[in-house]
Amino acid sequence: MIYLDNAATSFPKPPGVIEAVTDALAAPASPGRSGHAPALNASRTIHRARKALARLFGLTDNTRLIFAPNVTWSLNMALNGLGLKAGDHVLSSALEHNSTARPLARFKKDQGVDWEIVPPGPDGRTRPEDFKNRLRPETRLVVLCHASNVTGTLAPAKAIKEAISATPLLLDAAQTAGALPMDDYGQWADLVAFTGHKALLGPTGTGGLWIREGLDLRPLAVGGSGSRSESLVHPDFLPDALEPGTANTHGLAGLAAGVEFLLAVGVDKVRAHEMELTAYFLENIAKIPELSIIGPGPGEPDRVATVSVVVKGWSSSDLAAALEKGYGIMIRSGLHCAPLAHQFLGTYPGGAARFSFGYFNVLKDAEIAATALKELAAKPVS
Amino acid sequence: MDLEGELILVFASNAKILNVEDLLEEKNLPFTLVPVPKEVNPNCGLAVCFMESQKDRILPILKAADLWPSAAYRRKGRDFSVFPID
Repeated sequence: MIYLDNAATSFPKPPGVIEAVTDALAAPASPGRSGHAPALNASRTIHRARKALARLFGLTDNTRLIFAPNVTWSLNMALNGLGLKAGDHVLSSALEHNSTARPLARFKKDQGVDWEIVPPGPDGRTRPEDFKNRLRPETRLVVLCHASNVTGTLAPAKAIKEAISATPLLLDAAQTAGALPMDDYGQWADLVAFTGHKALLGPTGTGGLWIREGLDLRPLAVGGSGSRSESLVHPDFLPDALEPGTANTHGLAGLAAGVEFLLAVGVDKVRAHEMELTAYFLENIAKIPELSIIGPGPGEPDRVATVSVVVKGWSSSDLAAALEKGYGIMIRSGLHCAPLAHQFLGTYPGGAARFSFGYFNVLKDAEIAATALKELAAKPVS
Repeated sequence: MDLEGELILVFASNAKILNVEDLLEEKNLPFTLVPVPKEVNPNCGLAVCFMESQKDRILPILKAADLWPSAAYRRKGRDFSVFPID
């Protein structure tokens, strides 16, 4: 099997992740609830994950890093926690995933929040000045997909934050956390939502949100926290305020191992490797006349290792099936839960065939995938 | 002879306690983590416990790291009293 679907979930997981999960499952543990040694060890496991992520994002206070089941939950935690109301104005990019687009659409429909989509520039890229020019006194938030899960295009997050000044920026880092050096984000970002099972190399069921000091979110859910047990009022201090219920200890054990692996290897080294494979793949598929690259092409900067294509005579689903059947290549076809992005890219509703490289792919994988595309493009279905 | 008491520091969150644990281990200071004594505090989490003789070494380090407890108690045997920390 050649796995090129790392934008959906990374595979394989690095050494130590599976062992960390099974070790955590094999221990009697309820983190933060009891004082005995196994419970304390479970708490320490979660603390390890918090510390590793704090290092990855350059955070000084790891208690403001909140764990959640996935990035969709993290984004909802942020969007709902800010208390958006009728008349509030929210800006977002045009490349948003449904994990932000659907909550924003619901805020618009149910609560009268004015959600404005900022179209990309002529080169398809999100521009800081386009956000700045749309700011109003009632703008409460800017939502930004850090890297498109369709095109791999990287948004200039820091420049956008500088352009919008004091307006909070909610960064959807689903495709970038672990894939891109982000160790200065603690110095300038406001809200960073991440998932654990993609480039952070952990298991599914893990993710989180970092919240800068000075921003307070109302919890989406309240309940058991292991703290202030005497009170019917949920604690207001972090992380407890936003982490109700028993944590996913075994998942976070795996996430800690995944992030520690990344830190040991170096995210810059991971990125260099993924970009090498992406560059090679792009150069080779750009020579296929029947194929269109959706997004940045060969030599274009500021991208992650995700490449979507449309091939003449092939639907994206037929192409994905042919790649699996004929070559053992696993990719993702369709709309990638990002219909807004596909509408702006002109690939709606048919979608595209998406190839996404990870740290454990090798150059041979990119070579085989490019050759397979060339062969399939020469024999269209229709 | 008057036996030395222990100081028990209670923190708001478990996450904070674990940062305290990291810090005190790094400084090689003697302490243990214990369940919060129910005699004085209904919190069901953990507390940091050390001999009172260590307070002048430990408390300034916690203050400098912005890891200050929400409450502190002095324990001698089964007797507890509030220990003023502010």
